[in-house]
Amino acid sequence: MTNRTGLIVENATTGYDSADVLYGVSLNAEPGKITCLLGSNGAGKSTLVRLILGLTPARLGRVSFNGRDITRMQTHKVISEGIACIPEGRMVFSKCTVEENLLLGGYGEKDDALLTKRMKTVYDLFPRLAERKQQLAGTMSGGEQAMVSIGRGLMSEPSLLIIDEPSLGLSPLLVKENFKIIKEINERGISILLIEQNVRQTLAIAHYGYVLTQGKVVAAGTAQELLKDETMHAAYFG
Amino acid sequence: MDIGFIGQHLVNGLMQGMIYSLVAVGFTLFFGVLDVIKFSHGDVLMVGVFAGLTAFFGLDALGIENPYILVIAIILFSTALMALLGIVIAKILILPLKGAPPLNILLITLMLGTLLRESVRLFYPNGSNSKAFPAILPTDSFTWGNFSLRLDSVMLFVAGAAVIVGTYTLINRTRLGLAIRAVAQDEETARTMGINFGFIVLFTFALGSAIAAFAGVMNGFYYNEINFSMGLLLGAVGFSAAIIGGLGNLYGAILGGFLFAGLQTLAAAALPFSSSYKDVFAFAVVIALMAWRPTGLIAEKAYARV
Repeated sequence: MTNRTGLIVENATTGYDSADVLYGVSLNAEPGKITCLLGSNGAGKSTLVRLILGLTPARLGRVSFNGRDITRMQTHKVISEGIACIPEGRMVFSKCTVEENLLLGGYGEKDDALLTKRMKTVYDLFPRLAERKQQLAGTMSGGEQAMVSIGRGLMSEPSLLIIDEPSLGLSPLLVKENFKIIKEINERGISILLIEQNVRQTLAIAHYGYVLTQGKVVAAGTAQELLKDETMHAAYFG
Repeated sequence: MDIGFIGQHLVNGLMQGMIYSLVAVGFTLFFGVLDVIKFSHGDVLMVGVFAGLTAFFGLDALGIENPYILVIAIILFSTALMALLGIVIAKILILPLKGAPPLNILLITLMLGTLLRESVRLFYPNGSNSKAFPAILPTDSFTWGNFSLRLDSVMLFVAGAAVIVGTYTLINRTRLGLAIRAVAQDEETARTMGINFGFIVLFTFALGSAIAAFAGVMNGFYYNEINFSMGLLLGAVGFSAAIIGGLGNLYGAILGGFLFAGLQTLAAAALPFSSSYKDVFAFAVVIALMAWRPTGLIAEKAYARV
C-alpha cells in the first residue's frame, strides 16, 4: 500500500526555452481536501499544472504523489498513478461524441463493465449528457462542454483531480453551479487541486490554499487565513 | 465505344483507385496524428514490394508452390516488414524532430525516400531493371460479350476493399482508434487522458506503412511488373489524393484516390489524345481543384478527421 501523502511539489523550478516561469514552488495537496492555487494571469498556474502532469519537465525540484516520485514520469504514467485533470478551457474532443469523450477520460481502464458503471455515475451527475451521448462535443454549448470535461475527468476515478480554471468563460450562474459540483466531487472522497483566479468563490469551498505571484508562492494557509491575508490582497489587488 | 472497352477501363480505374486510396490513407493518418508529411511513403511502398518479391523467391527456393500460401506469405512478409520500417522511421527520424519546423521533417523524409530508392537500385540484385512480379493468382475470367473480368482482379479489389473497411473500423470503432482520433485532435489533452502518445504515433506509422506495402503488393500482382522507382509516382499520386480529399480526413483520402484514378481513366479512355497524357491531365485537374478548394473537397467535418 502506498502512503496517502497526496501530492507534494518541492522546490519546483521550470519554464519554457530560456525563461523560467516557476521559481522553487512548493505545495501539498492533501488527500481528501480541496487545495486551491490562486493567482492572476501569468502567475504560472498552468505551468505548475503542466509540471505536475509531466507535460513540461521540471528543471529543479521534485514532485511526488502518495509517496511515489513522479517528477520525470511520462504523462500517461502520471495519469495511471491516479491523477486526472480537467484542463483549462475544457478542451473537450470536439469531433468525438460525448460518450467517446467520457471513454477517453477512462482510457486507462480496460474493464468495460467498470467503464459503463462509471459512465452511469457521470450521467446521474449530469442528466443532460445522458440525453446527448451521441452528440459531437464540439457542437455543444460552453456549459455543456464544461459538463463533458468534468465528467471525463471523473471517468478514471482518480484519487486526485486537478481542475484548471473551471470558471473561465462561463456565466456567473454556471460558475456557481460548477463550484457546487466541485464540492460534491470532493465529498465523494476525491482530493482536488483547484486552480483559480476567482478568489472568493474558490476560498468558500477550499480547505487550504496557495497564492502564486510571478512564479513564486507568496502566501499559503487555510481558506480563512488567506481571506484575511494581506500578502494575498496585495498580490491580487496590488 | 463498346461495352467491353468501357468495362475494361472501369475495372482498371477501380483497381488504380483502390491502390491510390490505400497510399493516401497513410498520408492522411500520419498528418492526422503528427501533422507531418512523410515524403518517403511511396518509397516505403516500393521497398515493401521488393520485400514481397524476395519472400516469393525464398519460398520458391524451398519448393512451396501452393499459390494461396505464396500470396498470403508475400503479403504478410511485406506488410510486417514495412510496419517495422514505419516504426523505425517514426522512432529515429520523426519523433525526435517533433518540435522542429515541419519543413525539416519534409526534407528528411524526402532524403530518406531517395536513400531507400537508390539502395534498392544499387543493392538489390540487378535492381536498376524492372522485375517481373509473380503472376500466381488464378487468372480464370468471366466473359460477357467482349468484356472479360479476371478473377485475380476481383480478388485484389475485394482484398483492397477489406483493408479499407478494416482501417475504417479500427479508427472509428475501437478503443485504439479512439485514442488515435483523440491524439489527432489535441495531442496534449489526449496525453492528459492517459494515452501513451509515443505508442500511438508508432502504431500509426506501422499501420500506414503496412497499408502502403499492401497497396504496393496489390500493384505488383495487378501489373506483374515492379521497379525501384515505382514509389515516386505512387507517392505523388497518393499525396495528391490525400490533399484533394482534405489532408487528415480518412474519407477524403479514399475519395481522392478514386477521383484521381477516375481522371486518369477518363483521359485514357474518353479524351481525344494519347493515353500517355493521362497523368498530365489528372495532375492538371488536381491543380485546378486545389485552386478552387484549397482545403480539399470535403470541408473538414467534425467526425471525419482521423
